[in-house]
Amino acid sequence: MPIDYTALAPGDAISDETYRLDETTVARYVAAVGDGSAPISGDGRPDLAPPMAVAALSLRGVIVDLQVPAGTLHAGQELEFLRAVHVGETLNCRATLSQNSVRGERRFIVVQVSVEDGQGGAVMRGKSTLVVPAQS
Amino acid sequence: MEEGYKLSSIERLVSQRRIEQYAEASGDFNPIHVDPYFAATSQFGTTIAHGMMVAATISEMMTAEFRADWPSTGRLKIRFRAPVLSGETVTAHGVVSRVRRRDEGLEIVCSVGVNKQDGQAAITGEATVLIPADVGRGAGG
Repeated sequence: MPIDYTALAPGDAISDETYRLDETTVARYVAAVGDGSAPISGDGRPDLAPPMAVAALSLRGVIVDLQVPAGTLHAGQELEFLRAVHVGETLNCRATLSQNSVRGERRFIVVQVSVEDGQGGAVMRGKSTLVVPAQS
Repeated sequence: MEEGYKLSSIERLVSQRRIEQYAEASGDFNPIHVDPYFAATSQFGTTIAHGMMVAATISEMMTAEFRADWPSTGRLKIRFRAPVLSGETVTAHGVVSRVRRRDEGLEIVCSVGVNKQDGQAAITGEATVLIPADVGRGAGG
């Protein structure tokens, strides 16, 4: 069922998804962005995942559950990394709508995202501003 | 590390293959990124890279400079100013704009961005990292 963007209100839960940041996921991400800085290791635990891989994961549920329409653009992003994430960790990613406004032919959607580890510890917080066609 | 210190820049070709790999990795298959026929009818005339894919070069630059302190304490605030078209080359750049000693350590604020090959800014913003006190002590500022 298509999303009625006009009915979305601040405070609405957008997505609540749990993912495992496994080796395949991280390797696919690193290949895509060509990140030569990864992996970081040295403490005897699995390598650290690039923090932007966690950020990308946090937006996956937003993209899918909001059924982001074709032509949507990413206008801004804020991220706060609270602790490094090791490859293999399971992460819960939640997103909540914080703004839904129309200016001209564009609708501005602002989503707050939060990522927690398997023990409920905060890993990352963020805010994404998306510009979608206003007719959505 | 002092104000004005330039971070090592990172240059990257944004190929359509990489854009498609990023779509797979992120789950974002918006046709503006992966469908050349749809993209040809858009205001850009061709496919464009995911903003977060381009922003990853900033994070890579910060990781190269600050290692594990970046994924542990980093904060990033960016605006996507212009689309990066498939086939363009981008360069992430950064300069230390402020160094502040805090109880927890040394807070380093960097003015960061990504420029396209023609010099146009694709991303502008600020990245902040905290170097823990035991490491930051004596590091300047």
